[in-house]
Amino acid sequence: MSNRRRYLVSYDIADDRRRNDVFKLCRQEGDHTQYSVFVAEFDARELIAFQATIDTLIHDTEDQVLIADLGPATREAGQIIASLGRPYQPPIRALVV
Amino acid sequence: MPNTLAESTPTDSDDLLPVRMLNEFAYCPRLFHLMHVDGCWADNSYTEDGRRVHRRVDRLDHVLPEAGRTSPASADGSAAASAEADGEEPPTIARSVSLGSTQLGLTAKLDLVSTDGDEAVPVETKRGKVPDNPERSWEPERVQLMAQGLLLREAGYRSDHGFLYFAASRRRVEIRFTAELEARTLDLMQQARAQARSEKLPYPLVDSPKCRGCSLAGICLPDETLALRTVPADPVAPTVRRLYPTRDDAGPLYVQEQGAFVGTSKGTITIKKDGTVLAEARLKDVDHLVLCGRVQISTQTVHLLCEAGIPICHLSMGHWFYGFTAGFTLRNAYDRAAQFRVAADPVRCLSLARNIVTAKAANQRTLLQRNAEPRPGQALNGIAGLQEAIASASGVDILLGLEGTAARHYFGAFATMIRPADLAEAFAAEGRSRRPPPDPINALLSFGYALLSKECTVALAAVGLDPFWGFYHRPRHGRPALALDLMEEFRPLVVDSAVLSACNTAMVTRSDFTVGRSGCMLKPTARKAFIRAYEARLDQLATHPQLGYRVSWRVMIRLQARLLARWLRGDLPDYSGIRTR
Repeated sequence: MSNRRRYLVSYDIADDRRRNDVFKLCRQEGDHTQYSVFVAEFDARELIAFQATIDTLIHDTEDQVLIADLGPATREAGQIIASLGRPYQPPIRALVV
Repeated sequence: MPNTLAESTPTDSDDLLPVRMLNEFAYCPRLFHLMHVDGCWADNSYTEDGRRVHRRVDRLDHVLPEAGRTSPASADGSAAASAEADGEEPPTIARSVSLGSTQLGLTAKLDLVSTDGDEAVPVETKRGKVPDNPERSWEPERVQLMAQGLLLREAGYRSDHGFLYFAASRRRVEIRFTAELEARTLDLMQQARAQARSEKLPYPLVDSPKCRGCSLAGICLPDETLALRTVPADPVAPTVRRLYPTRDDAGPLYVQEQGAFVGTSKGTITIKKDGTVLAEARLKDVDHLVLCGRVQISTQTVHLLCEAGIPICHLSMGHWFYGFTAGFTLRNAYDRAAQFRVAADPVRCLSLARNIVTAKAANQRTLLQRNAEPRPGQALNGIAGLQEAIASASGVDILLGLEGTAARHYFGAFATMIRPADLAEAFAAEGRSRRPPPDPINALLSFGYALLSKECTVALAAVGLDPFWGFYHRPRHGRPALALDLMEEFRPLVVDSAVLSACNTAMVTRSDFTVGRSGCMLKPTARKAFIRAYEARLDQLATHPQLGYRVSWRVMIRLQARLLARWLRGDLPDYSGIRTR
């Protein structure tokens, strides 16, 4: 598709309840890749909305959420993310089930 | 031009104009109409950011203290002196204050009001930077602030200035409430009210930079409207700007696994069968859901999709489109009212029908011209020869006859576009035949047209039209007549093209079909493969002949649906079907 970019979202949350809330949001928006690491695709508007919601969930000095821009979503994830050990399986977007 | 409050009082006292909408009207009357009258809304990164900036402000809800209750200005602005009156210290800064006045006909939620004795100063937060102009502000924002000042005066305060706070620059700009600004504001209020009572869409802004950042550009279609209003087209007109994406990120999700169950889990759609998860989908990735045959969906999922504005289309395992489920996303019926008015006008119905059939026949001819081997001269000339009669047909029944003749030429030569000999021969034996389809090509065409009718139904519902009330096709047996009208021009270029592509590249072969009592049917593998071919075709870019820019076929269908709605509203002089070269 065209307008979205791929992002790596990683968090370090001090409180269990806050971490759970952030986890639920990330799972809704992206793919759970490692313990507190997600890969998600957002366009400009979706990114702002996501960041705004994260802001309401986290503590502004105790917690940290990192969002790294991995480039346009049109590029194959396998070309952007290399894995060692267990292979990285980018999710396949279903069209017909 | 009114300059007293009495002249701008509304007739209906319940009809209070929100001050934010006044800002919108001053920015662009067409935007105001689309939002306030038609109830349209779309977000972009700017509106999302604006919401974020206002979130902190909106969290509180303060009541404005009575004017004059607080003590006269003191060094720290405190209100200790009035403690004797009621024992409670009223705030001097109030956030998120709701005010309304039937006298003024206005209502507003003020971000922040600073009160001091009987003076009140409104402060409005803006997400952007201070504008780089002499006034260091834009008129719509000054007007908005002035209107807030008028409301504060109604509440008994003195208000002769306000502030705009620009969050990105972290600076305040003072706006004085001059007599000029007040007069301008009252004038705009009256104009806005007049526009709110009108059904007619205002003219778009002409080549305005404001359109680029406007979140409703894809609904308003400013440059497109201006270009299409000029008949004949102006050859030296500026390029039509495409102010929305060529493709959408969200796409359809088809579920055809018989016995599957569509549910939700933590805000995502899950598809299970016998307890195993077959697939998951994020709401933001799904444009509409298509359920084929024996597929169950939970009520919770239906609710979730209705709220998210994701329609659910119900198809049979064959190719019958039963109907669709959609939430209440549209908040006006003006487009539908226009649709029913025009449907009762035989002259306009005929005019639309002629344009539709002209485009369909032209596209059939184009497809033959591009793909037929050997060149079917008779069919090409035959279709070309009908165009004059189509353009001047005096009745819908005559058009039906001409359409049928064109189809006979077209399907008579269709087999010359099919490379695999077995499929071509099977089709050529009986030509286009429906109930039941006797061969694979016919089965694919029927399936493809059902999918396209689903596509057009979703597109029409999205723009506020009723898919079931058509102009050329009469509503019968519950078929979506307007969807059938809209899809005519797309049949050759989307479905027929996808069918040819699927067969000629061996995505489907003879072995993917079974022939039985109910004719030739697609095996599940063929259905999956063809859906992929059809979706791939919808994803390809094409040039809009009148607008000159490229969008995907899927976007093209939605664009044509919207242009059709505009023609029905009287916003455009004509509706022209897509014809590619």
